[in-house]
Amino acid sequence: MAQRPQGDQQPPHDPKDPVFDGPPLSLEQELAAARAEPEAGADIETVNESLADGLNRCPKCGSTDVRLRGSTEMLVCLFCRHQWQEARVEEAFGLGVGIDDLQGTVVAGGAGEITGDDDVLTMTCGGCGADVVVDTAHAMNARCHWCRHTLNVNQRTPNGAVPDAVLPFRLTRDEAVAKIRAFASKRRLFAHPRFTREFVPENVLGVYLPYLVIDARAEAAYVGQGEVQTRRWTEKQGDNSVTYYAADVYRVDRSVAFTVDDLTIEGAADRADLGSGTTNNIVNTILPFDTKNAVKWNSSYLVGFTSEKRDLDVTDLQPVLEDQPLSIGRAQVHDTLGEFDRGVRWEAEKVDVGGSRWVSMYLPVWLYSYYQENTRMLHYIAVNARTGETMGSVPVSQPRLIAAALTVGTVLEGIAAAILVATA
Amino acid sequence: MIHDLVLQQLAAVTVWATSGDETPLWLLAAGPAGAVATYWSLYRYYRNTDKSHAYERDTLIAAQPVQGHREKVGHISRTRDSDIDGDNSSNHRVRVQRLE
Repeated sequence: MAQRPQGDQQPPHDPKDPVFDGPPLSLEQELAAARAEPEAGADIETVNESLADGLNRCPKCGSTDVRLRGSTEMLVCLFCRHQWQEARVEEAFGLGVGIDDLQGTVVAGGAGEITGDDDVLTMTCGGCGADVVVDTAHAMNARCHWCRHTLNVNQRTPNGAVPDAVLPFRLTRDEAVAKIRAFASKRRLFAHPRFTREFVPENVLGVYLPYLVIDARAEAAYVGQGEVQTRRWTEKQGDNSVTYYAADVYRVDRSVAFTVDDLTIEGAADRADLGSGTTNNIVNTILPFDTKNAVKWNSSYLVGFTSEKRDLDVTDLQPVLEDQPLSIGRAQVHDTLGEFDRGVRWEAEKVDVGGSRWVSMYLPVWLYSYYQENTRMLHYIAVNARTGETMGSVPVSQPRLIAAALTVGTVLEGIAAAILVATA
Repeated sequence: MIHDLVLQQLAAVTVWATSGDETPLWLLAAGPAGAVATYWSLYRYYRNTDKSHAYERDTLIAAQPVQGHREKVGHISRTRDSDIDGDNSSNHRVRVQRLE
């Protein structure tokens, strides 16, 4: 391993200018500090020990010209064509078992707290010794400009760029282009003319987006009111008849305990904002991924693709881990409300997440983006590079949309007027 | 797409016209209502602003049997409302007061 953050050189310390490091501790505090256990490491250690940082060599011929072969989901050596793959994390780290017994918050090494924001790493090429810079905010590989070796970031970085696992691309670029073209062609008539004119699906980019994949054990409870209809009758009021109802009112409570396996939430703050002013819901919609097939981290899977680093910690996402189980619990109890034929109004709720296990993953997305200048909106058509699920936001032509709405409205108004005239 | 919308609106107008217990003058609202419905239907079809990951359905969930009770607390003897006020039993993501 030969990597260091840029700009980490400290100025020489002047001994005549002592550094103030806070008021002195009391004797009890100093004794407590001396007796303290060493700081705990990650709850689940997921570092891929088989990789030396810097050069990922083909196990057969030693070449570093390695990349993902999408059609087989395996790494392929471009020199000798040997193919291999990393182990699935589900079995390697025991992620598929023990959800019922989870206690507290268990965090895998790659989902740990982000302690630095320096994205740029300088790596020393293992082939020729040259210093090569990698911007880990967008890529986890770089070519040595002297000897053409591919350098890889495999070890944990403090900025959250190296996850626990990666789910390789399965859909090829051509398949993604076909899906994006089909999606947009169904939405051509009312699309913004400039979008239609500038639409080039071949510009699609393969991106690994950061997610946190959570196993959790929770119990949710709800309290509200439900109504059961007891009678329905009609009364005549002038020329009209009015329907009335009678109903019994009940206080209803429900509780359910459940486990969730591989709940997937966005690990980048820019993507996690699903507000109406963004199109982030598009990328959110193409979830879920087959995260059970994620493999141990090996940055060679990212060669030829871009990546976005994680910038949200487990603590940032705790509110989401309460919100989503609350919704899941509500969906679970919904089928037990059939007797309340006039509906149920939930008024209070609570959730107790007894245990959760957090693993960070890079998940593969083919992304076609289009920036609409007049509204300053970034539109996406996104393809889940595992399942092929496609979703998108196509900018609309407001004049065409309004013309269509007015046409339909006019036709309906004409029909309504004709009915009124006929029944008068 | 447009044809489907017009047919849907026509069906709605026919239902209104034959329902009988409301004043037929309400039919005059069909034009503006149809225009707004057409606009929003097309807008949502293109922009998909209402879509998101259905994690309640698409996540692997193992639930134990639901526990619950009901207790009669009142009776409504006469109302024109056909359902309970504020029914949120199907809006799983709308949060209500949190119990501690």
